[in-house]
Amino acid sequence: MEAPVQHLEPIFEIAQEVSTAGGRVNTLCFQCGKCDVVCPWNRVSRFSMRRLIRQSIFGLSEIESEELWRCSTCGNCTRECPRGVTQIDIARALRRLATAYGVFAGGARPLRTVRGSLQAEGNPLGFARAQRAAWAAGLEVPEFSEECEYLLFVGCYYAYDPRLKKVAAAAVRVLGRAGVSFGILGQEESCCGESIRKCGSEDLFRALARQNIKTFIDRGVRKMVVLSPHCYHAFKHDYREFMVNFEVVHLSELLASLAQAGRLEMKGAFPARVTFHDPCYLGRHNGLFEPPRELLRLVPGLELVEMAENRASSLCCGGGGGRIWMDTPRRERFSDLRLAQAMETGAQVLISCCPYCISNFEDSRINSGGEGRIEVRDLVEIIDQVTGN
Amino acid sequence: MADKNVHFADVMVVGGGISGIQAALDLAACGFRVYLVERSPTIGGKMAQLDKTFPTNDCSMCIESPKFIECDRHPNIEILTYTEIDDVSGQAGDFTVRLTRKPRYIREERCTGCTTCVEYCPVEVPDPFNQFLSPNKAVHIYFSQAVPLVPYIDENCLYLREKKCSICTTVCKNQAIDLNQRPQKLELNVGAIVLAPGYEIFNPRLRNDYGYGLYPNVVTSLDFERLLCSTGPFQGEILRPSDRRHPHRIAWLHCVGSRQVIPGGNSYCSAVCCSYIQKQVILAKDHDSSIEAAVFHNDIRAFGKDFERFYQRAAALPGVRFVRSYATVVRELPNSHNLAVRYSTFDQGVHEEEFDMVVLGVGLNPPSAAGELARKFGIDLEAHGFCQLNERNPVATSRPGIFVSGAFRGPLDIPESVFTASAAGAEVGALLGYRRGKLSRERQYPPERDVSAEEPRVGVFLCHCGANIGRVVNVPEVVKYATTLKNVVHAEEGLFICSTDAAQKIANTIREKKLNRVVVAACTPRTHEPLFRDTLREGGINQYFFEMANIREHCSWVHSKQKEEATRKAKDLVRMSVARSLKLEPLPEYELEVTPVALVVGGGPAGMTAALALADQGFEVHLAEKENDLGGAARRLRSSLEGLDVQALIRELVYKIYRHPLVHVYHQARLVDVSGYVGNFHTRIESEGRVVTINHGVAVLATGAEEYRPREYLYGQDQRVMTQLELEAELAAGGERLRRASSLVMIQCVGSRTPERNYCSRVCCRQAVKNALRLKELNPGLRIFILYRDMRTYGFSEDYYRLAAEKGVLFVRYEPPENPEVAAAESEGRKVLRVSVTDPVLGGRLALDADLVVLSAGVVPSTGTAEMVRLFKVPLSPDGFFQEAHVKLRPVDFAAEGVFLCGSGHYPKTITEAMAQARGAAGRAATILSRRALVASGAVCQVKEEDCVSCGACISACSYGAIEFRSTPRGKKAVVNPVLCKGDGLCNAKCPTGAIVLKHFTDEEVFNQLEAALAPEKWLAEESSAGEGAAR
Repeated sequence: MEAPVQHLEPIFEIAQEVSTAGGRVNTLCFQCGKCDVVCPWNRVSRFSMRRLIRQSIFGLSEIESEELWRCSTCGNCTRECPRGVTQIDIARALRRLATAYGVFAGGARPLRTVRGSLQAEGNPLGFARAQRAAWAAGLEVPEFSEECEYLLFVGCYYAYDPRLKKVAAAAVRVLGRAGVSFGILGQEESCCGESIRKCGSEDLFRALARQNIKTFIDRGVRKMVVLSPHCYHAFKHDYREFMVNFEVVHLSELLASLAQAGRLEMKGAFPARVTFHDPCYLGRHNGLFEPPRELLRLVPGLELVEMAENRASSLCCGGGGGRIWMDTPRRERFSDLRLAQAMETGAQVLISCCPYCISNFEDSRINSGGEGRIEVRDLVEIIDQVTGN
Repeated sequence: MADKNVHFADVMVVGGGISGIQAALDLAACGFRVYLVERSPTIGGKMAQLDKTFPTNDCSMCIESPKFIECDRHPNIEILTYTEIDDVSGQAGDFTVRLTRKPRYIREERCTGCTTCVEYCPVEVPDPFNQFLSPNKAVHIYFSQAVPLVPYIDENCLYLREKKCSICTTVCKNQAIDLNQRPQKLELNVGAIVLAPGYEIFNPRLRNDYGYGLYPNVVTSLDFERLLCSTGPFQGEILRPSDRRHPHRIAWLHCVGSRQVIPGGNSYCSAVCCSYIQKQVILAKDHDSSIEAAVFHNDIRAFGKDFERFYQRAAALPGVRFVRSYATVVRELPNSHNLAVRYSTFDQGVHEEEFDMVVLGVGLNPPSAAGELARKFGIDLEAHGFCQLNERNPVATSRPGIFVSGAFRGPLDIPESVFTASAAGAEVGALLGYRRGKLSRERQYPPERDVSAEEPRVGVFLCHCGANIGRVVNVPEVVKYATTLKNVVHAEEGLFICSTDAAQKIANTIREKKLNRVVVAACTPRTHEPLFRDTLREGGINQYFFEMANIREHCSWVHSKQKEEATRKAKDLVRMSVARSLKLEPLPEYELEVTPVALVVGGGPAGMTAALALADQGFEVHLAEKENDLGGAARRLRSSLEGLDVQALIRELVYKIYRHPLVHVYHQARLVDVSGYVGNFHTRIESEGRVVTINHGVAVLATGAEEYRPREYLYGQDQRVMTQLELEAELAAGGERLRRASSLVMIQCVGSRTPERNYCSRVCCRQAVKNALRLKELNPGLRIFILYRDMRTYGFSEDYYRLAAEKGVLFVRYEPPENPEVAAAESEGRKVLRVSVTDPVLGGRLALDADLVVLSAGVVPSTGTAEMVRLFKVPLSPDGFFQEAHVKLRPVDFAAEGVFLCGSGHYPKTITEAMAQARGAAGRAATILSRRALVASGAVCQVKEEDCVSCGACISACSYGAIEFRSTPRGKKAVVNPVLCKGDGLCNAKCPTGAIVLKHFTDEEVFNQLEAALAPEKWLAEESSAGEGAAR
C-alpha cells in the first residue's frame, strides 16, 4: 500500500528566523546529496543534512527532533559542497532556534547542565572555577604576566579532566625545556565558548568571549599558545568578530617550529609504530595538517603510518559541535570506527592533539576492545617523553 | 621578400582542432591564404580523441579526418604543426607573428610515414593520444590519420637525453631522421588572426577527491573515449587498466570539476558532459550488453537539439540506472581493485556500492596556456579564464583583428565550435575583403587521361580502418580474392586508406599501373567519396571512375560477431563494386556562374546579423521580414541574463541595416516562390503590395521561433497566470502588480519535454533565473519559487543560477507525472493561487500560495519555418525545426546547396547564440558567394527524348523541381536541369518507358553489380591473368 501523500504547509516566519540566526546560506543548496554522501553519520546510522537544510528553507524544521543536534561540525560536507553551503552555520542557526525555545531533544538533554556550568563556573564540566588551576599544583607553572611571551591558554578539558590533566602537565614540561616564556591565567581563564556556540547558545558564547577578551586585554596578552584546536578556532575566527586580533598558535605548530630551530632536544627514543589522527578543528577547519607530522618525524625510533582517511579527509571522532556533551549510543560512535582504522594500520599508538578526540578514543579503546592493542596519546605526551630525562 | 623566413598570408588560425580546421577551410574557400598553426604534432585536436559524437553517435575520427586531408590539399592552407607562438605585434590588417617550430627531428619532406623507425625504437613511452593508457615509442606518429603523417621524436629519446642510441637514423632508408635538428624561427605577416586553441579537460588528479591516479580503475571520460575506440589502448575493447579484464559494473560520475565553488573546481557548467556520458553509456552497452551502468548526476542538461531523446534512449536501456545524487569514490577494495562508491537517494538514504570501474565526467577547462596566449595576443580573458567575449559580437576578442572560435569562448560542443569558426571567417572576410583572392592559389590537377580506348584496368584498395574493419573481416584474404577478379590489375590493403599518404599512394598507383577504374573498399561514400574522387583527379583520370564498397557499416559493424561470414560478404561487396566499375563512364561536371547576392529570410537578430555580416563582406543582401518592423520575437525581450540591453541591440542592428548601402529590406514580405539553384536562385517576394523578383546566389533562412501558448495551469482563465515573455513586458512597464505581490511561482517546462514536444526549449531556465533576479531587484521582499525538472543553466549561466539561489529564490524540483497543480484559493483572507508540488527531499506535497504564477512556456517553430520547406525544399526535424546537413560538422548548412540556416528556426537559442550562428551562416554563405563559379555534379539524370511520352510522372516525383516540360519539335518533352538534379533517381523508378536515366547509376552499371552478386563465378579472371600485379 502506498503511503498517503504528506501535505506540507511552509511556515515562512520560521524560515525567516533560521535565516536571521545565520542560516541564510540554506537557499544555496541545490540538493545534490553530496553532504549526506560524505557525512560520517551515514556510516553509523541514517542522517540527512540535505533534508535538514531543505526543511529549514520552508520553515518546516522540527525543533523537537534530535536530528538538528547530530552534526558534529566536522566540516567534511562543507569541504565537499559544490554550492558553497556552509552547513555548520545552518545547524548552528537551527540550534539557536531550539535553544531559544529551550528545547534540547534526546541526546542533547545534557546541554542544560552544560550551559548552567558554563554560566556559573566558566567550564562545561561542572567543576568549580576555583579549581581551574589545580592541575598545575606542584608543577611550578608561572602565572601570566606582561613579561611572558605567550599566554598558555589551557582549556577546560585539560584543566579538569583527569586523563587530560596529564597532557597539560606534559605541555608545561616541554615548553619549559624549550625555554619558552609563558604563563597561565589560572582561574581567570574561562571556556573559549567555541563548542557551546555551535550548540546555538549564542548569548552564552558572547558572554564567555567578552570575559576572556577582557582578561586578555587587562593582562596584556599579545600571543597565545593553545592546547585545544577548538580554542584555536575560537580565537582565530570567532573572536575576530569582536574586532580583536590576538596572535594564536596551536601547541603542535609552536613545538614544530621550536624543533626546527633546535630548541627541542630529543634525548630519548619512541620506538613504536604510530598513526596520527587529524582533529577536525586543527586540520580541516584550519589547515594545520603538517606541523604534528613534522614533529613526529623528528622523534627518534618512531614510525609514522597513515590511516586511509587522513588530513582533509580525516574521519571525525564525533566530539565537535557540542557532541562531546551529548549522549551518543554505543553503535553510533565515530570514534569506534576511527580506532578500528588506526588498528588496521598496525599502529601501536594512536596520536592526536585535541581533548575531544583523546577523550573519545580513550573511551572507544576501553569499550570496543582496543585495550592492550593500542594506546591513545596526545602529541605532546610523546614529545614530553622523548625530551625528558 | 628579402628574408626567406618571413611569410605573407591573409590569416593565421591558431589551433588545429575542429574549430581551427573549419575556420581555415572556410577562409581558404573564400580566397584567403591561411596559416593553420598547431602546437601538437598533428591537426585534429580533442575531437580526434573521441570515439563517437553525440547525439548521432557518428564516428568522430571518420567525420573529422576528411577535413584533415581537405586542409592538407587546399592550396590556400599552409599547416604548421609542432609550432609555438612567440609574440605578436602590429594591428588589424598588419600583424607580425613570430613563431618557433619545435624540432620533430624528422625531415618532413623526406619522411614517407613508413614507421620503420617506430618499429626499431627501443624506448617505450605512454602514448599521449591514448591518454597514457598504452605504450608507444619515443619516435611515433601521433595517430594513424595524422596530418602531416610524419613521426616526431619526443624528449624520452635516448639520443636526445644521453646521446646514446640512434638506431632510427640507421634504419631510415630515406635519411629522414635528423637528431641534430634545432628549433626553427619564422615570422608571419597576416591581416587577421583567429584563435581556436580549444580547451583542456579538468584534471581530477590535482585535487584527488575521486581517487584518480591512485586507483587504476578510476578513469576520466576522455580516457574512456580512448577505451571505447578501436584505435584505443585495447583496440576498442573496454578493459580495466588494473587487470585488462572487462568491467561489468561501471559508474559514471557527473560534474567532476564543474558546477562547484570549492577551491580547484569550476563554478560553471561544462555543458557537454551530460550528453557525452549518455553517449558513453550507450556505447558501452553496445560493446557489451551485459554491462550494468549507473549514472550519478544532478540536473540532466539535455538542452541541445535532439539531446532529450538521446537522454531518454540511454535511460531506457536495460541495466542502466540514472541516480540523482552526486557520488564519491570512497576507497579501492583490496585485491579486486574494485571501487566503493557512495551516493544518496531521496527515499533510501546513503548507499555504498561496489563497481568494477568508475568514469569521471570531467569538465572543460580553459586551454592550459590561456594566460600566456592572452598576454602574447594582447586580448582579455573573462573571470573563468576563457576568452572575454563581446555579447554583441560573440566571435570578437578585445583586440581588433583578432577573432575567437571554438571552446576558448567557453564550454561548448562541436557544432558551436564549427559555426563560430565560420563566424570568425565572416568577420575576417569583413575586415580583409579588399584583399580577398590576392594571395590565393588554385588547385592544380594533372590533365585528364583519355581512357576510352583502354580495357578496364581496376585497382582495388582495401582499408582496415584501424581495427574497425580489420578486426572482423580478414582483409588480406579479401585482397587475395580481389586479384582473382576480372580486370583487376592491382589490389592492396592499408591501415587507413583515407590517410594522406595512402591517398597519395593511390594517385601514384593510378599513374604507375595505368589504372582506369578504382575501387575502395572501406567505409561510406557519404563521408569519403569526395576525398577519393579527388585522388582520382590527382591520378589523372576522371573522378567518376571511382567506386566504393562499404565493408564497414554494411559489413564489419553489423556482422561483428560473424567473422567468416563477414569476410565472405566483403568479398561479395568488392566483386560487385568491381563489376559495376567496369561500366562506369567519365562524366563532365558543370560550371555555374554565381550571383554574388544573398537573400536573408527573417528580420530578427539572427537574420539582421547574417545580413550585416554578408554585406560587410561586400555582398549585396536582400532581407525579407514578414512583419512591419524588424526585430522579430526579440522585440519582446528586455535584456539578456548577462545584462545585454536587447532593445538597444535591436535598435543598433536596425539602424545599421537601414544605413548599409548593400542591404535592401522588404517589410511585410511574403515569399511567393523560389526557383533556381545554388548560385542562381530566383525568388519572388510580395512586399507592401508589389511583387519583385530577386536573383541571388544563396539564401539564409532565419525564420525564428515563437513562444508556446500554454493551455496548462489556468493560463488564459486567470489573469494572474502569465508567460515569461508577458512577465518581461510587465517588468518593462514598471510592474505595478509585481511590486505589490508578496509571492510568485514560476513553473518550468510548460509545453516542453512533453510527449507532443519531446525537446527542451533551452532558453527557459536562463529566462526564469533572469526574470527572478530582475524581480528581486524590483521587489526584494517578493518570495519567488521556481518549480523545475532539471535546471538547465548550462555554461557560464550556472553562476546566475547560484546567484539567484543566493538572493533567496527558492527552487523546487518536480518530476512528471507528479506535475504541479495550480488552483484559485483563499488564504487568510487573501485571494491567492495555490500551487502544490511534491518536493523529493521533503517527501511531501508543498503548498505554496502565490499572487502570480509565471509559466516558462516553451519555444515552438514559427509558421514561417514550415513555409520554408515548401519554398526551399529544406527538411525539418521531427520537432519542426530546420534540419541541418550534419548536426556536428555542417551545423548551418542545409543539405540543399546554397541554403543556410541560423537562429531559433534551427532550435531554441539565446540572442547571443543566434547572432554567433548567424555570422557562421554568413561565413558559410560567403564561401559560395566569393567564388566566380561553382561546379555541379555529373551524376545527374538525363531524358532520352525519343522515349519520353510526356506523362509528367517524373516531374511530380522530383522533390527538387529539377524537371520541367519543354516544347520540342517532337512535342512536349521532359527536360532535366542538371544543376538542380540531386541524382536521387526517384524519377527513374517512376518513368513508364525508361526514358529517364541517372548517369553514374545506369542500368548497365547496376545490372553488372547485381549479376556479380548472383553469379560470382562469372567474374573470376582466367587462371592465367590472376594475381597480376597484386601487392600487399
